Amino acid sequence: MTTVDAGSATAPAVEARQVEKRYGPVPALRGVSFSLAAGEFLTLFGPNGAGKTTLLRILCGAVRPTRGSVHVEGEPVADGEGGWRRRIGLLSHQTFLYPGLSAAENLEFYAKLYDLPDRRALVERALEGVGLAERRGDLVRTFSRGMQQRLAVARTLLHDPAVVFLDEPYTGLDPHAAAMLNRTLARLRDERRTVVLVTHNLSQGLEMADRVAVQVRGRWISDEPRGSVDAAAFERVYTDRVAAAV
Amino acid sequence: MARFLAHAAAVAAKDLRLEMRSRERIVSMGVFAVLVAVVFSFALDPTIRARGIAGAMIWVTVLFAGTLGLGRSFALEAEQDALQGLLLSPVDRGALFLGKFAANLVIVLGVELVVFPVYALFFGLDFRGSPAALAGVVGLATVGFMLLGTLFAAMSAHTRLGDTLLPILLLPLLLPVVIFAASATQRLLVGRPPSEVMSAVKVLAAFDLLYLLVCTWAFGHVVEE
Amino acid sequence: MDTEPQSLRGTRTAAAVLALLAAAGVLAALYMVFFYAPTETSMGIVQRIFYVHVPSAWVAFMAFGIVALCSLGYLWLRDERLDAIAVSAAELGTVFTTIVLLTGPLWGRIAWGAWWVWEPRLTLTLLLWFIYVGYFMLRGAAESAERGKRFAAVLGIVGAVDIPLIHLSVQWFRSQHPKPVILRPEGPTADPEIVQTLLVSLLAFTLLFFALLLYRYGLERLRARVEAARLRAADARPAAPIEGAFR
Repeated sequence: MTTVDAGSATAPAVEARQVEKRYGPVPALRGVSFSLAAGEFLTLFGPNGAGKTTLLRILCGAVRPTRGSVHVEGEPVADGEGGWRRRIGLLSHQTFLYPGLSAAENLEFYAKLYDLPDRRALVERALEGVGLAERRGDLVRTFSRGMQQRLAVARTLLHDPAVVFLDEPYTGLDPHAAAMLNRTLARLRDERRTVVLVTHNLSQGLEMADRVAVQVRGRWISDEPRGSVDAAAFERVYTDRVAAAV
Repeated sequence: MARFLAHAAAVAAKDLRLEMRSRERIVSMGVFAVLVAVVFSFALDPTIRARGIAGAMIWVTVLFAGTLGLGRSFALEAEQDALQGLLLSPVDRGALFLGKFAANLVIVLGVELVVFPVYALFFGLDFRGSPAALAGVVGLATVGFMLLGTLFAAMSAHTRLGDTLLPILLLPLLLPVVIFAASATQRLLVGRPPSEVMSAVKVLAAFDLLYLLVCTWAFGHVVEE
Repeated sequence: MDTEPQSLRGTRTAAAVLALLAAAGVLAALYMVFFYAPTETSMGIVQRIFYVHVPSAWVAFMAFGIVALCSLGYLWLRDERLDAIAVSAAELGTVFTTIVLLTGPLWGRIAWGAWWVWEPRLTLTLLLWFIYVGYFMLRGAAESAERGKRFAAVLGIVGAVDIPLIHLSVQWFRSQHPKPVILRPEGPTADPEIVQTLLVSLLAFTLLFFALLLYRYGLERLRARVEAARLRAADARPAAPIEGAFR
């Protein structure tokens, strides 16, 4: 098992300062600030429409914030290229794969975009890592949802990112595939990667986290270390007061 | 620069591989183009000599067939939100644009390889007079068409109207390409010397260069969320 | 963003002043068109349309220039005000382009003996009109308002690059428009009264355009402000922190 190089020792892995996003006059995020140390695992909960996906997209540099800034390992996340793009990976419930390409072709394509050396061997290792080596030549269209998600995991980790963002990764997975995803998350934590997990799944989200945050209507109303959160109390308060309040 | 071109080539190769597997665009565009030629031959009065208007007919066909296929270019990226994956990667937006453009260009040039022989066959035309000049005119005009086409296909993919909007946006802007391409094609077809189409070639080349810069720059603003 | 409720006051004052000037200009122009300028000998009374046709064309193309410049600025700075100017100019540009397209054939019926002629400048205006139509369709059909603004801005810029090319190509294609007779290097050949009337009309239309632009811009800003206020009202209770509730 590899351990990820923690990058610059002083800078936090991810830092958001007063991030605001408006779509026209509609506020999606109203000043979110937080700082994640390298190797920290944060789970972010929140009801639909809380702006969690918007926040993740801003952290990935896919959406520009209206105000505020994001830094990854001390480097500002901005439009265009930057070393930080190689340091982050995003796993969403959409796989970002091409159904008309084979598993190996998909990964090779992404390896080219990331300028990774020794592509063939790298892709082979990545496919073995998610148990898809035998299906390497099959079109992704023929894969089950769970297999597609496994391949998406391989795609996300192909360039060995230090920071991994996960956006509702459990959506549409059967219990077997969800268990696989849990193993992946445990692996990410053991490898000391910095993780931001956005999910509705309370028990699975709590299980992995070092830190738990709740976002409601574009604001963080809670951000606590896992140690001070009791799972049963959290589940009760969350369903009664947070999810019901919206 | 080498990285920029390598990324563009990777995107183009990916699109062409997908097209080679499915053949959905080349087949639908090719069949559509041939059908337009058939419709033309029955819609035109038999006393009209097709040779006199073939340049216009061919470019109208290419324009409509090309616009038909452009929409698919970004539907590929939307299927599993792959565009998001591309935008996350450390690839310049300009390289992404050039890759998509190059794949569209190759596919439409392939359709033109069908259109010209079919028109020659149906209407008894002879394009062998000055093949180099003809190839130059067709190539340059198609480059301009696909530069604007790729940019606007990226936009119309993110609208409620989708591909319906594409020709409405594209056709007025493409008028210069149509005028010069159709008139130059027509002249070469009736056996005028290639020197007569040099002015058209120059204007088309200038058009291409201008749009290469403008569209490559603008694409970043189009795909951003 | 909309933080200064006072900022529209200047816009309204300027719009009112310009509107008064424009009204005076239009009245002066109307008087000159009907009572001062002589009837042109070869085309007759219909030539007077020219005092509406030419200034409208000037304003329509100027509007498109404003759309392009503000679009460029919007993509660069993402300032909502620039987009508001661009969309206002585009709307007025559509109106004035429509006037050109209506008055052109009326004149052309007498001058050329046909309602519509594929004359370069008229063709260019027709294509400009289609580009304006595309501008609004794209803006309205985009998945989100913010995307619509960006897409429209890109179309505004690409269109501005394309207009000279369209001009060049239709010019090359065919030309049978009456040659400009007003501003020749060797001096005007038309009657001085005709020249003076045209210049006054140009000034009046330009003032009118900017007055309308400011009013329309103020309206656009007001609309954004109302929308923002509505959302603030709907969102009156912020989510309260629940720190420590999970122990």
